[in-house]
Amino acid sequence: MSIYVSTSIILVAMVAAFVLSSIFLKSPDISLAITAAVAVLFGVGFGWTDSFSRVMVEGLFVNLDTVLLFITASIFVSIYSETGAINSVTRKLVSRFQNKWILLAFMGAFMLIPGALTGAGSISIFVLGAMVATVVGAMGLSKKKTAAFVFMFAILSAAAPPVNLWAMMIASGSDIPYVGFDLPLMFPIVIVSIFTIIFLGWGSKRKSKEEVLASLPEADEHMSWWRILTPLVVLIALFLASNYMAHVIPVLGLPLMFVLSAIAAVICNPKKLSIKEYGKIINNTFEQIFPLIATVLSVGMLQNAMSASGVKGLIGITFITLPVIWIYITVLFVAPFLQGALNYGSAVVFGAPLIFLFNSMGFDPKIVAVALSLIFPIGDCLPPSRITGRLAVEAVGYEGKYTSFLLAVLVPCLVLGLIALAMMIWPNSFTFLI
Amino acid sequence: MVFLQNVIYYIYMAFAAISGFFLVKQLFKREKHKGIVNDIIYAYCIIPFLLRILQIK
Repeated sequence: MSIYVSTSIILVAMVAAFVLSSIFLKSPDISLAITAAVAVLFGVGFGWTDSFSRVMVEGLFVNLDTVLLFITASIFVSIYSETGAINSVTRKLVSRFQNKWILLAFMGAFMLIPGALTGAGSISIFVLGAMVATVVGAMGLSKKKTAAFVFMFAILSAAAPPVNLWAMMIASGSDIPYVGFDLPLMFPIVIVSIFTIIFLGWGSKRKSKEEVLASLPEADEHMSWWRILTPLVVLIALFLASNYMAHVIPVLGLPLMFVLSAIAAVICNPKKLSIKEYGKIINNTFEQIFPLIATVLSVGMLQNAMSASGVKGLIGITFITLPVIWIYITVLFVAPFLQGALNYGSAVVFGAPLIFLFNSMGFDPKIVAVALSLIFPIGDCLPPSRITGRLAVEAVGYEGKYTSFLLAVLVPCLVLGLIALAMMIWPNSFTFLI
Repeated sequence: MVFLQNVIYYIYMAFAAISGFFLVKQLFKREKHKGIVNDIIYAYCIIPFLLRILQIK
């Protein structure tokens, strides 16, 4: 039997295992782990790898650094949110600005921050979803449009720099350093953000300032601007120092930067909380982000299993030999649906091989990776996982049909997809952003 | 600089230990994500943190 046939058999077995385990266990994380186990078992059976447990355990380490990053980032966001800084800023903004568009823009910008720092749109919804929904609803948007607003900014926040997990995984799968992604990611995100605000906010009529303030949580009177800004200044200063003083300071790493900023947030907190209360905040954060930890670790197992069983090579070869026009035609459908099924695994299965194809064609691989990392998040509202879509609907309390919510996000998602597609078709025209 | 790098290395070990501690705690007592499937997921998610703390990998 040729290697091509053997790896094709493994791929079919993996798809069958994933579909069956998704149906019966209803958890994308364990389905990914089972799929990885099936691939490795076949690899052992064909004599291509000697140890089942070694491949599986090593797979758990593939994305461990990424997991540590969003654990620490999420802890920072939770502690910062607990200090009341975000409530306070929102109340100050609502009191200060009467213009609907300015407030919608601020709410969108707020939503972008937690997801951009953690790489997970669900964190933006956990931290800010309810408050943003209140303000956006007060701007006259219907519940359906408010859910669409929260969802769109959640997925844009996940794709926003500095932490874009899809781009990171594509980069790690295709041996590209995760450097120089910030501007190429920001450029389309800013355009789509502006479009989303105008598209969803058009025709709505805002409530009075007093009505909006009454629906927001009370702010701590001791929360001054320096308490609000210090943790963020510490974070930005550490980012800049690691970029521009790399030879003077030791390598801190993003997780340590988030922990130092979290310590700054604790120091600036006007509410004096006990260590036990902070422990409770961290414990709750772990419960909130556990599905993400599980997904990313399971994806690591799948990555390693695909390498060990030859399936990664099979998919890579298939894509590299595919006419590129077919990729342009199908990518806007295939990538989001893969995201719905595999979550971050989609970046590894579909993204990394495509990078090899575009690189071999002389296209800039970083811009293609950016384009793909903008298309994958669209699938966060699609079944079977639909994590972010479900959370957005729950945060807003939208009780209509899920399909009507999907229709509400269709146009902004299409704009995002088309911009990303343009970046894929003419990547070398966007290299000025790197 | 080498000394500071070593300190940072041990800080990251401590992160792994703290993360492992919270995951082990939630394996036995948690409010969300209940059921046997999630027990299994918690169990294998703890493995890399434990191996890192034990400096096996």
